[in-house]
Order: sequence, then structure tokens, then C-alpha cells
Amino acid sequence: MNPSKTISSALFLVSAVLMLAASQPRLLAQTRSVQVDKVDPGDVKIEPAFTVAIYENLLEELSKTKQFKQVFRSGDRNASGPDLLILKIKVQKYTPGSETRRAVTTVSGATKLNVRSQLCSPDGQVVLERVVDGNVRFFGGNLRATHNLAHNVAEAIKKSDLTGPPSSVREKK
Amino acid sequence: MIQRLASFKQIARGLACLLPLICFVSCLTAKNHEAASSPTGVTMQVTHVLGFESIPKNASGNLSIQGNALRFQKSEGAGAQISVGAIQDVFVGQEDKQVGGKTMAVGRAATPFGGGRVIGLFSHKKYDTVTVEYLDQNGGFHGAIFQLNKGQAQVLKNELVAEGAHVTNLEDQPAKPSAQENKNESK
Repeated sequence: MNPSKTISSALFLVSAVLMLAASQPRLLAQTRSVQVDKVDPGDVKIEPAFTVAIYENLLEELSKTKQFKQVFRSGDRNASGPDLLILKIKVQKYTPGSETRRAVTTVSGATKLNVRSQLCSPDGQVVLERVVDGNVRFFGGNLRATHNLAHNVAEAIKKSDLTGPPSSVREKK
Repeated sequence: MIQRLASFKQIARGLACLLPLICFVSCLTAKNHEAASSPTGVTMQVTHVLGFESIPKNASGNLSIQGNALRFQKSEGAGAQISVGAIQDVFVGQEDKQVGGKTMAVGRAATPFGGGRVIGLFSHKKYDTVTVEYLDQNGGFHGAIFQLNKGQAQVLKNELVAEGAHVTNLEDQPAKPSAQENKNESK
């Protein structure tokens, strides 16, 4: 038997196994659904438009990740079952910016958001916890910060292994 | 012949005087027609920022209250509506935005000798925003944001309240961005 053929077939087999292993968590995670709670402004004085924009952008970004079977809205009567995860967002810091200041000075006028996101099981146990930022520094309107934040939250969930034990509470800036 | 010319001139002058009057009357008629097109009297040209049913982001169209429904009709294509009774809260805000979009932003960046900054100083406009929180048929919470011309947000809110929308704070003072900017970081 040709040794180069043997090596190439072995390599193919190894890569196939690796690909299968990489896709395993995603397949398992897709058996779960998520319900996005209303954004909790906490003690921070934040405009309602921002909390609503974070919420709506989260729903969109979580659907895009394809990590969950279904993405439910807060209060949805169809959201139930042991596989349901609840995403809670609490605003920790908010710096209102100005698009005009950004356009004129470039260095000031940034809109900054900082939230604590918790993914909880139906019995209230925290499965995943992250501190996530969402800023807009140069181009775009102030509400773009909410889109960036939602994208970062969805990315953090995507990168985490939801199939693991639900006790792994980690923080990341 | 001279008499004929003189009469022509008189007619022309008369018509020239009448022309502004005709324009004014036609404008008034058009405005009356616009008002008549909505049964409850409020139709506003708005931009849908996000969240209203299946309407895409940044779609412009007309927002109106028809019967017991808040309806958004896109300038081109389909519209969507929700029941006023499903509305949980309405908030009014104010936003200061740069005009011209991406094209203008690129133009500003390309202007030499810091000219773009000077353009940026003058190329902004204030808008009102209306945030509508409502529930769907399954009890799911929705939030929609609309961008309106300055001064229209409170009018829309008042109309929604008059139609029976649930509102927690009746007299919203639009949050001025400049005042909030001064508080550099809230904890």
C-alpha cells in the first residue's frame, strides 16, 4: 500500500473526528431554549429606549447564533420546560454619548454600556455569568452601542460550553 | 392695437397677483386632505428604528392611530399594526443625530484640514423618539422605537393615552442628551 495514501487517509480521518468533536457542543446546546428577560436598569439612570433596544437586539443576536432551539420573549406563555434557560441582563454602567461630539472631536462623546448577563436554569441556578461591554466610539448613532452589546453577549454565550456542569460561574471583562 | 396690448398687460398683472393666492389655497387644500385621510387625526411621518412587528430596521413610513390600533405603514410595501390596548407603556425621548448617513460620514472624514469636524458641527439635527412597550398575543414583551420630527413625540403619546393606552408617566420630559453628557459616568 502506498504510504502517502495511508497518511492522507489517516489525516482525513483525524480531521473528520476533530470536526465532529467541535460541532458536538453546538448540537447539544440546540436542545435548549432561551427566554430573554426584560433588561433591569438597576440604579443606573438609563433611557427606556436603550433598555428596549438592548432587549430587542439580544433577541435578534441570540437567534443568529443558532445555539438555541427557540428564543422566547419575556412573558411568553409558550416558554416552559426543563431545558429552558433564562437570560437576565442588569445594567451596571451607562455613559451617555453624543454623535455630534464624536463627529467633531473624535476622541470624546462615546456611548458606553456595561452589563452583567446571567444565564439561569428554571430553578434559578446560574449557568453562566459574564460582564459585557458595548460601546460606540466613532461612527454610528448612540443606539448602536446596544447592538454592539447584544452582539458581545451572544458571542460570550456562543463561546461558552453550555453542556458543562451548571456551577461554572466565571467573569470576563 | 395699443389698447389690446394694454389689456394683455393688465391681465398678466392680475394673474401674477393671483398666482401666490392660488398656491396658498392649494397648499391649504392639500393639508386638509392629509388630515382627513386619518380618521382620528394623527398621522406622522416617522422612521422605525427597531422592534415593531416584522417591519425592518430604519424603515420610514407613516405612523397613525386608526380605530383602536397603532399602525405603521411603510412608504413602499406592507405595514403592521398593534392594538392600543396591548400597549404597556410609552416613553418620549430626544436624540441629536448627524444628518447624511454613511455618505456624509465618509465625506467628512475625507475633507482635508479638519474641515470634516466643522461640517460635523453644523450637520446635526434633533429628533424626538417614542418608545412603545407592548405585549403580543402570547404575552411576550415587545419594545418598538420610532424616530419623529422634533415636537411630535408628546403629541403621539397624548393621542395614544386618549385612545386608552396604558402609560405610567403621563408627562415625560424628553431627556436632553447634552444634560446627560455632563454626568460623565453614572454608576
